[in-house]
Amino acid sequence: MVLEGNVLPVDRANVDTDQVIPAFLLTGITSVGLGVHLFKGMPGGLDLLAAHPDASIVVTRENFGCGSSREHAAWALADRGFRAVVAPSFARIFQENAYNNGVAPIVVDAGEIDALMAAPSLKIDLEAETIATSDARVITFALDPLRKRFLLEGGYLDFLANKRDAVRSWLSRSGSTVE
Amino acid sequence: MTQSLFEKVWNAHVVEQLPGGNALLFVDRIVAHEITTPQGALEIQQRYGDELFDKKRIVAMNDHVSPAKDTETAIQAKLLREWAKRHGITLYDIGDNGICHVIAPERGHIEPGMTVICGDSHTCTLGAFGAFALGIGTTVQTGAMLSGCVVLERPKVMRITIDGRLGHGATAKDLALYVISTLTFKGATGYAIEYRGEAIDAFSMDERMTLCNMAVEAGATTAMIAPDETTFSYLRGRENQPKGEAFEANVAHWRTLRSDSDARYEKDVTLDASELRPMVSWGTNPGESVPLDGRVPADANEKSLEYMGLARGDALRALPIDQAFIGSCTNSRLADLRAAGEVLRGRKVSVPTIITPGSQAVKRAAEKEGLHDVFQDAGALWTHSSCGPCLGMSMGVVAPGSRCISSSNRNFPGRMGAGGRVHLASPVVVAASAILGRIASPEELGAEVAGQRA
Repeated sequence: MVLEGNVLPVDRANVDTDQVIPAFLLTGITSVGLGVHLFKGMPGGLDLLAAHPDASIVVTRENFGCGSSREHAAWALADRGFRAVVAPSFARIFQENAYNNGVAPIVVDAGEIDALMAAPSLKIDLEAETIATSDARVITFALDPLRKRFLLEGGYLDFLANKRDAVRSWLSRSGSTVE
Repeated sequence: MTQSLFEKVWNAHVVEQLPGGNALLFVDRIVAHEITTPQGALEIQQRYGDELFDKKRIVAMNDHVSPAKDTETAIQAKLLREWAKRHGITLYDIGDNGICHVIAPERGHIEPGMTVICGDSHTCTLGAFGAFALGIGTTVQTGAMLSGCVVLERPKVMRITIDGRLGHGATAKDLALYVISTLTFKGATGYAIEYRGEAIDAFSMDERMTLCNMAVEAGATTAMIAPDETTFSYLRGRENQPKGEAFEANVAHWRTLRSDSDARYEKDVTLDASELRPMVSWGTNPGESVPLDGRVPADANEKSLEYMGLARGDALRALPIDQAFIGSCTNSRLADLRAAGEVLRGRKVSVPTIITPGSQAVKRAAEKEGLHDVFQDAGALWTHSSCGPCLGMSMGVVAPGSRCISSSNRNFPGRMGAGGRVHLASPVVVAASAILGRIASPEELGAEVAGQRA
């Protein structure tokens, strides 16, 4: 799968999930429709989005998605049409949530970020794990081999649903019961 | 084979090894709250016949916004309530609820050696019991409700030894801020921390929970403390724990949950607690913290300075504050309230001050000791239990540009309200600051601080 899209340059480190979507907006019971709230908690966030209305790839600094476990952060990105976040590092929980919602958490060397942030658009090949920059360079990255499947095809819950018999046998070997 | 505490718990729960260093890991306890559970409950109802893997492993509570503040949060609470009732899941609700990380251990649902998940990043709090406890998103929680398992990449292990004992008015909260400022805000990402050492041995369960609570603020998957007599005494006779011989048989097993002497760690850190002083955050993440007597560092981040309205070299002590908050899953237990009470007793606050117990049980226990009178005589608001002002989701929102000193865990931009500025500190520092209207230590009041360790 190849993503071609414009860049939203988020030139901040440690963008926590409160900045991606503040807690007072977590009052719903579905994962859809949260795109309108994206980056409402980030100083200057709404202006930045307005300046890049058709962006679909976030490029940002280290430790993106730190803080709260709210999957609403990944839901808001996906709902707004974002398909990838490129950063030198991610917080664990956001990274898991991103994989489960079709938003690729792409880790690249910190030294690459300035150039990627300055690029108006990027071409990302998720299967081949490469980023093609506008100046014809190719940057490679590595996705988690198992979660890559969830990213591209969905199916985290089905994957686990299909493990239920194996889990029950494992449990019964340990003498536990379920209700 | 020698194993660390983490490895013992992890290995006992691996159902299957998966590609990429991932494991299918069995979950003993799912703690479910109203903000992140209804979406998954609805999905299982719609796609998987409403079938839960094992309802007895789930406990639920309305906690983040309880009582509801509006129609939307009322619907969240109603859905959780109906789901729990339909499946016969234990639910803690209005009148008998509290913050998930306070109430789950308080009601005996957390044991050494367990794997625990909750849709809240501060689930690492429960590692204080020697459990492997971590925050996860809604989809991962839903998967565990459906299959009993999570897919998780095995974290590395970082041992942090805390030598010496706390003194000089320093508390478990100050140690947490010191650890995070030392490791940095992302310094423990990819790690499970194991805390050990003299200071940890001396800590009560309340103090251990405060320390483990903030491990996620260094990026850690969790923090764990090997169970000991303090842990067993906390659990013995507690609600939802077996009695007599059955309990003691569990204790015999729990005693084995210690790192072997030659266990290996991917990272090993030693810190000295004896010189620790009260800490306060100056910036917009908990790693941006310094001793209360310190100054904003010379290498401070420009965006943090701008948001906080501070300059490099500014002294933290004496910075005027507009609001004070004591509560949150970090510091809302009885030990925290007692310590704050010692500072507030017979004095008056000079800024709006909100004190929110972590559970209704904590509230009742505090009131039996007369702490509600101490707080209210001091002019503070004593509320029902909830997450409260910590996440700016219901009450106590901080106005743009206003400064709040808080015993909570996050000073992110907008965390307690858009434009609001948060300084993190211990309950006793918050109490002293509330009285003086500026960032201050209890020493300035000459207070005898309960919980202070000689």
